[in-house]
Amino acid sequence: MKKLLSILLAILMVFTLAACGNGGNGGEEPAEEGKVLNLWTWNDEFWGFLCDYYADEVIDEFTATKGDVTIKRTTYISDNMAYQDALDAALLAQADAPADEKVDMFLAEADYIIKYTNSDATMDVTSIGVTDFSNTYKYTVEAASDANGVVKGVSFQCCPSALIYRRSIAKEVLGTDDPAEVQAALDSWEKFDEVAAIAKEKGYYMVPTPLETYRTFSNNTTSGWVVDGKLNIDPAIQNWMDQAEKYMAEGYAPFAAGIWDAEKNDQMFADGKTMCFFGPAWYFNFCMGNAQDPERGCYGDWAICQGPQAHFWGGTWMLAATGTDNPTMVADIMNTFINDEEVCSKLVSEKAQFSNNQAVNNKFAADESYGNDFLGGQNDTAVFAELAKYIKFQNVTPYDQGCNEGIQNAYREFLNGTVTKEEALANFKDSIKTTYPGITVE
Amino acid sequence: MNSNANRNAKIKLFISRFVVYAILIFLAFLCLFFFWLMFVNSTRSNAQLQSGFALFPKENFLKNFYNAWHDGTIDIPTGMKNSFIVAICSALLTTYFSALTAYGTYVYNFRFKKAVHLFILAIMMIPSQVSAVGFIQLAFKFHLTNKLWLLIVPSIAAPAVYFYMRQYLQATLPLEMVEAARIDGSNEFRIFNQIVLPIMKPAMAVQMIFSFVGSWNNYFMPSLLLNDAKKKTVPVMIGTLRSADFTKFDMGKVYMLMLMAILPVMVIYIILSKSIIKGVTSGSVKG
Amino acid sequence: MEKMKKLSKTKSISYAKWGYIFIIPFFVVYLIFTLYPQLLTIYNSFFEYYRDGLNVIGPNFVGLRNYKELFTINNAGYVPIVKYSLNTLILWIIGAVPQFLIAMLLALFFTSTRLNIKGQQFFKTVIYMPNLIMASAFSMLFFALFSQVGPINQLLQSWGAVNEPINFLGMTISVRGLIGLMNFLMWFGNTTILLMAGIQGIDESMFESARLDGSNSTQVFFNITMPLLMPIFIYVFITSMIGGIQMFDVPQVLTNGKGTPNLTSTTLIMYLNNFLGVSKNFGMAGAVSVLLFIITAVLSAFVFKTITRK
Repeated sequence: MKKLLSILLAILMVFTLAACGNGGNGGEEPAEEGKVLNLWTWNDEFWGFLCDYYADEVIDEFTATKGDVTIKRTTYISDNMAYQDALDAALLAQADAPADEKVDMFLAEADYIIKYTNSDATMDVTSIGVTDFSNTYKYTVEAASDANGVVKGVSFQCCPSALIYRRSIAKEVLGTDDPAEVQAALDSWEKFDEVAAIAKEKGYYMVPTPLETYRTFSNNTTSGWVVDGKLNIDPAIQNWMDQAEKYMAEGYAPFAAGIWDAEKNDQMFADGKTMCFFGPAWYFNFCMGNAQDPERGCYGDWAICQGPQAHFWGGTWMLAATGTDNPTMVADIMNTFINDEEVCSKLVSEKAQFSNNQAVNNKFAADESYGNDFLGGQNDTAVFAELAKYIKFQNVTPYDQGCNEGIQNAYREFLNGTVTKEEALANFKDSIKTTYPGITVE
Repeated sequence: MNSNANRNAKIKLFISRFVVYAILIFLAFLCLFFFWLMFVNSTRSNAQLQSGFALFPKENFLKNFYNAWHDGTIDIPTGMKNSFIVAICSALLTTYFSALTAYGTYVYNFRFKKAVHLFILAIMMIPSQVSAVGFIQLAFKFHLTNKLWLLIVPSIAAPAVYFYMRQYLQATLPLEMVEAARIDGSNEFRIFNQIVLPIMKPAMAVQMIFSFVGSWNNYFMPSLLLNDAKKKTVPVMIGTLRSADFTKFDMGKVYMLMLMAILPVMVIYIILSKSIIKGVTSGSVKG
Repeated sequence: MEKMKKLSKTKSISYAKWGYIFIIPFFVVYLIFTLYPQLLTIYNSFFEYYRDGLNVIGPNFVGLRNYKELFTINNAGYVPIVKYSLNTLILWIIGAVPQFLIAMLLALFFTSTRLNIKGQQFFKTVIYMPNLIMASAFSMLFFALFSQVGPINQLLQSWGAVNEPINFLGMTISVRGLIGLMNFLMWFGNTTILLMAGIQGIDESMFESARLDGSNSTQVFFNITMPLLMPIFIYVFITSMIGGIQMFDVPQVLTNGKGTPNLTSTTLIMYLNNFLGVSKNFGMAGAVSVLLFIITAVLSAFVFKTITRK
């Protein structure tokens, strides 16, 4: 029996070897660069920019060409850490993968970028020709650097997050829709609460869900989610929990919906009753589709201001994967999206992005004639340029995505009234134990 | 007197029939209602969907179809291709090899014949999930994730299909026929392929359909093994639909993707419902 | 003639070989893709073995620690696996009770010569259909239909039945109810057809003689139909139970793997699946699998007895 088993195993091994037989070159310096560049993403945001401003020809939703190189996109949804899971598997198999299947460049989010920058899976981009970071926002470089300061990638955007409000509702609630005046009325949480009460009296909601303000708190913590290997709940998170509880009890929000739920998106239609949303440029570009709906949306009825507390949300970094066989093109893409003035300008003017090129952003910020039609002609770049000064990239851990998603999911149940606060926290801790067995949970 | 009783009986029968038909129609309605809503909603735009309930289709079917087919995160054309590959190959392998195995334990006399048969029956009900951990561990170890054949090959050992084939052989294949073929000088493989298989055609067809449907709908193992967007099957993609994703606000597209996911099986069912329903019973135990 | 002789002489010896040859593919595949992984799963359950980011921790032998952890009371004051086992059982019961009652009723309707139901083929076709629907798509459909801004709430509001939308997916009773409803819809047609075949297999003369004895239809059902149908009924019942233990697609997709609310719809396989997520915790997942194996093996023994009964 044992013998039989070992024979079978041998057969299996031959199979496997045959399956990846042509791989495992793994040389330090490939004589010639690969013909396929594999890009990993969790959505098609960056892909759109790449197709419009970098690629020569777009073949389909997942393939494009530049010169004689084919750029292939592999996409996995971010939720439940599915993207990280898939990416980890690919990176762990990187050494044995055939050259054309190796990950060449992958995107990472603020919540977990540190996991990859601090590992051998990413490489020093200065060694492949990305050296000029003078135009970028400093925090974007810090975020992409490992513990020793080695830069592993760059971001094509800077993501200060603003308060996005409905002009028509602000007029009714505050008597004005002017960003400066609205900001003056909402520049602290105390004032925010007061306005929330007024909004409620007039039949409006302050926020679409209590989860909407989560990032403003989680971004201003004084400690990370994991300290000395132990799960740690920062006072700022506690403050958010108190606020969320209050907002639900007072009826300042219609539902305790998840931040990407249809229930929340419903509030963005013209007949929605919610005044305030929070998010960076990518948020109103990609996530407010209902507000831009030709039939039922309210295009132009929006504006932004700093809000009660400065914060950033997300941001996408391009990281160079160790073992890439296309280092030149990887570097070229990175340089294009931080230093090519024309491309960065188009990101702002055509895609309403807040680019990672200060000179370009400042140019638009100073341009009186520049405005975003979705925001009723407001110069959003000017607002973001100011906000960008306050961004602090601090207290990050490799476990942030699981913790941020986990606490919102668990606490939401308390807000919905299905569990007690204690149960919600216990459920959160249990989920962390399952997701990250290495963290000590008390 | 007699006619009175007769009439009472008739009235009673009429009432019972009425009640029975009412129950049947209600259940049939329940079975169709949700799918009808799915179809109707796949023809409405996002704004129409958010603005209220509708019982009849609207004009946005083609637009939703286009959007779903060209979605930026869910590559449904590739998913359908992968699902077809897995489902068709599994269906062919599982029926052929189950028939072969059943024939082996039915026609031949060998020492462990009975033990083998009983063993297969004993493992028939053990779900594949209990070996999933080891399975995916090996898949990772040998870098076999994202290989579609890994979802196909295990279908060669399908105890339930074996059981069905074995029952069928017992009922339809006279051993004399095999004897006669041997006398004609055919070798054993030829006898199986050219004489026995044609006899088993009806059983093979039924099992092929069930196996196809089973693989097409399979979610657990593929969701653990496939993470490459180019290798994902349809159910894995449908599973990710539910995940929170910030570019997914177009519900018309979501309904359309669901419709696409079930459509191939629906088409097969509409064409072959009679034999499929017959197949449900013939595979199970005889009382 | 000589060839014939040779054949018949060697027949009993040489043909046995073919029996082995024909069953080899089955067993090779079974050993590699099922048995070996199964043994490995059990083996894993005694090790600490998981992924922390891009680092693999273990495998380190830890004896029964995983099992101990599996049965440890958590912060919320319960043992997770016990809670999830009960969830699984409850979810199965919610679907299975109506499933068997309705299926039994329909099987009796369809086989009744007195009622003589017309359009049987149509009804059977319709009620069996949900069985073939992709469970994950079916579940996603229910999620979309029953969301707070979905069509069902829109319908209820337009009728004036409710003022505020009902949070179907936020309440234990409705989430479990929806899962039960889906399982019921997916399986009652199948059960009906199986029970019908069972009833049709009963010798008609049994019913005749009962009727001649003056039994009414209730008596016939309890004295003749049910006892004779029992073996099939038990078989269908236990296979349904084994299917229930494997419940995954429907609650997983409906609750996005969260088992909301308050983990009351987390099933055993969902729990297993959580360990196989980003943490690839083969140790704990192995321990859960071993438990699942034991439960299904016990139930399988009943099925085995039924199908091998002479």
